[in-house]
Amino acid sequence: MLNYNQALPEKKSFQDLQIEEIKPIMKLIIRGKKREFISAFGKALNILLPTESNTSTQSDKLTALWLSPDEWMLFSNKPIDENTNDYDTEKLLNNKISKINLGAITDVSDQFVMINLKGNKIYELFQTGSPFNFNNFQNKKGAVIQTILAKIGIIVHNQDKNIVNLFVRRSFSQHLFSWMNDAASRL
Amino acid sequence: MTKNLRLKTGKAIDETYRISFKFNGSTYYGFKGDTLASALLANDIHLIGRSFKYHRPRGIMTAGSEEPNAIVQLHNDSSRTEPNVRATEIEIYEGLEASSQNCWPSVNFDIGGINNLLSPLLPAGFYYKTFMWPASFWEKYEYFIRRSAGLGKSPTKPDPDIYEHKYIHCDVLIIGAGISGIMAAKIAAKNGLKTLLVEEKPNLGGSTIYQNSDHFKINNQNSGSWLEKEINEIKKLKNLEIKTRTSVAAFHGYNFLLARENLTDHLPMNQRNDKTRHKLLKIRAKKVITATGSIERPMIFDNNDRPGILLSSAIKKFADYFGVACGEKNILFTNNDSAYETAISLIQKGINIEAIIDNREEVNSKLIYEVEKNNIKIFKGYTVANTFGYKRINKISIMQLSKDGQKVVGPKIILSCDCLGVSGGWTPAVHLFTQSGGKLKFREDDQVFLPNIYPSDQLSIGACNGDFTLDEILRNTPKSLIKYLKIKNTDYDNLEVSSSTNKSKRNIWLLPSDKILGKTKSFVDYQNDATAKDIKLALREGFRSIEHVKRYTTTGMGTDQGKLGNMHALGIVSETAGAKMGELGTTTFRPPYTPLTFGTIVGRNVGEYFDIFRKTPIHDWHIDHKAEFENVGQWKRAWYYPKENENMHDAVQRESKAAREGAGILDASTLGKIDIQGTDASEFLNRIYTNAWSKLAVGKCRYGLMLNEDGMVYDDGVTTRLDENHYIMTTTTGGAANVMGKLEDYLQTEWPELDVYLTSVTDHFATVSVCGPNSKKIVSQVIPDLDLSDENFPHMSFKNAKIGNINCRVMRISFTGEHSYEINIQANYGKSVWEKCMEAGKDYNITPYGTETMHLLRAEKGFIIVGQDTDATMTPIDLQMDWIVSKKKYDFIGKRSLYRSDTIKENRKQLVGLLTDDPNEVLEEGAQIVADINKSPIEMLGHVTSSYYSPNLKKSIALGVVRGGKNMMGQKLIIPMEKKNINVIVADPVFLDKENKRLNA
Amino acid sequence: MFIINCPYCGEREQSEFKAGGEAHIVRPKQPTELSDDEWAEYLFMRKNIKGIQFERWNHTHGCRKWFNMVRDTSNDEIKAVYKMGEKPPVD
Repeated sequence: MLNYNQALPEKKSFQDLQIEEIKPIMKLIIRGKKREFISAFGKALNILLPTESNTSTQSDKLTALWLSPDEWMLFSNKPIDENTNDYDTEKLLNNKISKINLGAITDVSDQFVMINLKGNKIYELFQTGSPFNFNNFQNKKGAVIQTILAKIGIIVHNQDKNIVNLFVRRSFSQHLFSWMNDAASRL
Repeated sequence: MTKNLRLKTGKAIDETYRISFKFNGSTYYGFKGDTLASALLANDIHLIGRSFKYHRPRGIMTAGSEEPNAIVQLHNDSSRTEPNVRATEIEIYEGLEASSQNCWPSVNFDIGGINNLLSPLLPAGFYYKTFMWPASFWEKYEYFIRRSAGLGKSPTKPDPDIYEHKYIHCDVLIIGAGISGIMAAKIAAKNGLKTLLVEEKPNLGGSTIYQNSDHFKINNQNSGSWLEKEINEIKKLKNLEIKTRTSVAAFHGYNFLLARENLTDHLPMNQRNDKTRHKLLKIRAKKVITATGSIERPMIFDNNDRPGILLSSAIKKFADYFGVACGEKNILFTNNDSAYETAISLIQKGINIEAIIDNREEVNSKLIYEVEKNNIKIFKGYTVANTFGYKRINKISIMQLSKDGQKVVGPKIILSCDCLGVSGGWTPAVHLFTQSGGKLKFREDDQVFLPNIYPSDQLSIGACNGDFTLDEILRNTPKSLIKYLKIKNTDYDNLEVSSSTNKSKRNIWLLPSDKILGKTKSFVDYQNDATAKDIKLALREGFRSIEHVKRYTTTGMGTDQGKLGNMHALGIVSETAGAKMGELGTTTFRPPYTPLTFGTIVGRNVGEYFDIFRKTPIHDWHIDHKAEFENVGQWKRAWYYPKENENMHDAVQRESKAAREGAGILDASTLGKIDIQGTDASEFLNRIYTNAWSKLAVGKCRYGLMLNEDGMVYDDGVTTRLDENHYIMTTTTGGAANVMGKLEDYLQTEWPELDVYLTSVTDHFATVSVCGPNSKKIVSQVIPDLDLSDENFPHMSFKNAKIGNINCRVMRISFTGEHSYEINIQANYGKSVWEKCMEAGKDYNITPYGTETMHLLRAEKGFIIVGQDTDATMTPIDLQMDWIVSKKKYDFIGKRSLYRSDTIKENRKQLVGLLTDDPNEVLEEGAQIVADINKSPIEMLGHVTSSYYSPNLKKSIALGVVRGGKNMMGQKLIIPMEKKNINVIVADPVFLDKENKRLNA
Repeated sequence: MFIINCPYCGEREQSEFKAGGEAHIVRPKQPTELSDDEWAEYLFMRKNIKGIQFERWNHTHGCRKWFNMVRDTSNDEIKAVYKMGEKPPVD
């Protein structure tokens, strides 16, 4: 058996702000352009891929984030078993999409670290290092953007009021986490 | 006897709160609300520092951020000390320590003051002219010039304070909270716009807030009280954020502005603790309203720089706002009505005024009548001809002006005084407007430059737009906001305003005196000691453009950027050159408006946040095992793993031997990995790599070389065919992002018809590379279910495998020339796989090795490293890698460039092996390679790109690029070093195992 | 720092983007048929206009898509953005 090592072992709590890694989360990059691809995906998983930019869709088990006109990130709403990396969702999509050349499915579960932020100082924290204008974004439930925080590329998913999921590439995650903790300590 | 200069009515002053501070070592007292300047003036201290070039005594001239003279060194510890702090801006706090700058041994007795006597020898351009010849002497001159140059001292220790950045997005940014800024803020916020109002001073209200004269009334209240009510009202507005002590430093295109919010500089040291000192606000505003007001102009006359000479408006502010009298015998000198406002304030407070000198011959306004009523002598049509008093002004001489204002006439009158207030009219503060790219126009009436063409969505209002009188401001501000914000009306549309100012003005850029100009010291730029004489000299010497005059005389190049004197410089230049104002250009105001400390600019990008670091999933293991790290791109990579007393050389020799004799293990997780899928994936690879890909079988790996369109090697790596339409590509560690970008570029722009999807998976996988004769035994223990026989799993092939329940990919590929395996597993299991390999390899001397050993091992095999052995000028042919360039493929990126006239030259630099005569001599990387050291100049043939001592070959080996090297095999060349010449022989770059037997050993 | 209206993501700060040089330079379909001079024309020659210039940009920290931009290089005003493959605006 192999041991599972998450990227950010600690959870950090500040006044009005908690930051922690949620793991293991299955994450897939979904690519495709054809109309049949969108419908095949919808039929397979009973969730529609969002086609409007900067938005997301959600089912019981899965959330799909718009990343570009032909790229989405699909992730599991709940942590999965850390003793396997066989994902039924991935297999299903491989059969319904990749195998018949409708698009591409790539496992990126460990490419991205999912950091969950809770509290009413989330956007104040982002303001210290991101050029993105969060003024309207923070009021739109389910909104998604890719931008920069502390010079690092991130994906931000506004899950609900005062709850945000942030995705960052694993190799950058410790640096970003440390930077966020530093900035949060002075909010 | 101490004078009593403290008045009872200072608006900003809390007399119940006394504060002690030190200036030049002596303790003084002031009150809460004082600036250092007001507190010093209250203690009758005018002499603050010495000037830059002539070391002339200088005092406080202004009450704001435009101050050129009263700049001090703040704090005296070696980490927080700060030079060039404007005494007029720093608020005093308990324990403040400040000292004079640019004087030694003291401000009262300064040896540098001798420069003042030598000043006839120090004209403009003196340094340029004097220290030009002989050139070889420059180093000696420089030593002395540097010692005497500069203002203040820099800290010598790291800055202990914390600085932060913050991005702010708003609908409307309003710069300046004077009366027009306050009105704009209320109008904008009440119309539902998210508004930010920033003000550089600690309080709102500008100069109106301390205006309590009956001559200026709004809706029948005096203007100060009216504004106070407005301020209380806007503080309650929801849409409005107000930031004081916040100075806009830069106004860039697209309404991007930088402002410094000063959070702790006004607090006693023990209250600052871990608080952020400054915040650099990065503001994006849809609309910007500039309400920065105006700066009073001084006037240019002989010895106009003495301590005790202030702007007239500053004297008013010190009296009304700070409750301080700047002198007991005051004289005002003016060319317009403003000085009379000051006079009325002083009269109200019972401060003595000796006389008023007015350039104008005919003056009439209510203000002047009131002053005259108080029996104050007004010299109309007069000018100050000279001033006296070394460390403080003690008298002035005045003379009548000729009709044309170019000469003085009649007898000289001497008046004694201890303070001279000067008012030369007002200059709109258009600095930020011009920074943003705005174009100015000139208004002849009062000789001012005004905003004309706006380069972005912005508006200037109030005094910075040329509205100097209260009624103009109150009438025009709402009007222009209605138009700008496209609204119907404002709260201010029907104000009743009464204002007594008369706008007449007699502008004379350079006032005449009874001396010839060459004998006068009429300062235009106080901080840099540039005089009217210097500017005239520059023009005589042929300079015409204001930008050239500025650089030659250094006018406007101090830390204050000539906020006071630039207009006069322009005026004198235009007048002398016989041109119209503005025809010769205006000088460019550059950010920052007021100086910023480096700490503010860098924010938290210091220490561990200076640069981003990336870590592999196995990083913690390397730390636990005492690895030294090297930066590769943004990655921290294990460099070598020293044991006990080993140095780098020892460790690398041990690691290299172990990898070839037992087993080595390398963390290769940093290699770029790109998942490639789609029906055209093979075709795509054909187009981007130099070799052919269509026939690569599923389950096989192939090395590929990628070129730029110019034919030069760009990146390399092994790509594996995972399935019919599915590949995984590896790239170099440093090249990963660029390769991904380049591939996307071709897919999206040149070949959108290709069905190919690229996804970066660099971080998804940990890559554990096990090599050496024992690698098979080790991997067979870690993955017992995998058949590792050469028949089933030959070199350059791949297998899907499982370790426990976890899927992974194993490649049999080698960068060391040894039998080796790369296990690619999901990152979160990477450390565990590594540990399993270490455990399994215990009996086989498994040795972790870092990047240095990796480099050595591949050099033994003559494998290149893109970026080390290549530098974007090497084609595959230059690298002797013709074998990888397909002759059959019709096209691939860079193919056409491989037979351009330049790339087919025989004598291009080519990669070769180099062996030293002495096998223990290790060449230096970067060393030059020559053939003939007697020829002059010596012809450089190339340089050493990689060099190591190989423990496996027991000799030094090197790679290098040599002009025409391909045809020099066996030839002797020379590496000339500082102390000796090293003989080398050109050799095959493959030094070890040319037959590749070890791959299957 | 510009604000760039990415045709896919909307208005974003310039730091999310990378500039990619002059637009509408098409890679020759048959490079091997070209003379050295013709190839050099494609490879090296760029206009670098003061005034209206057509440029390629990539939203590197967003959707990763390339697009075209019409920019006045004399004052940095962005006149238009449009997707790859679309015709440049006439005015």
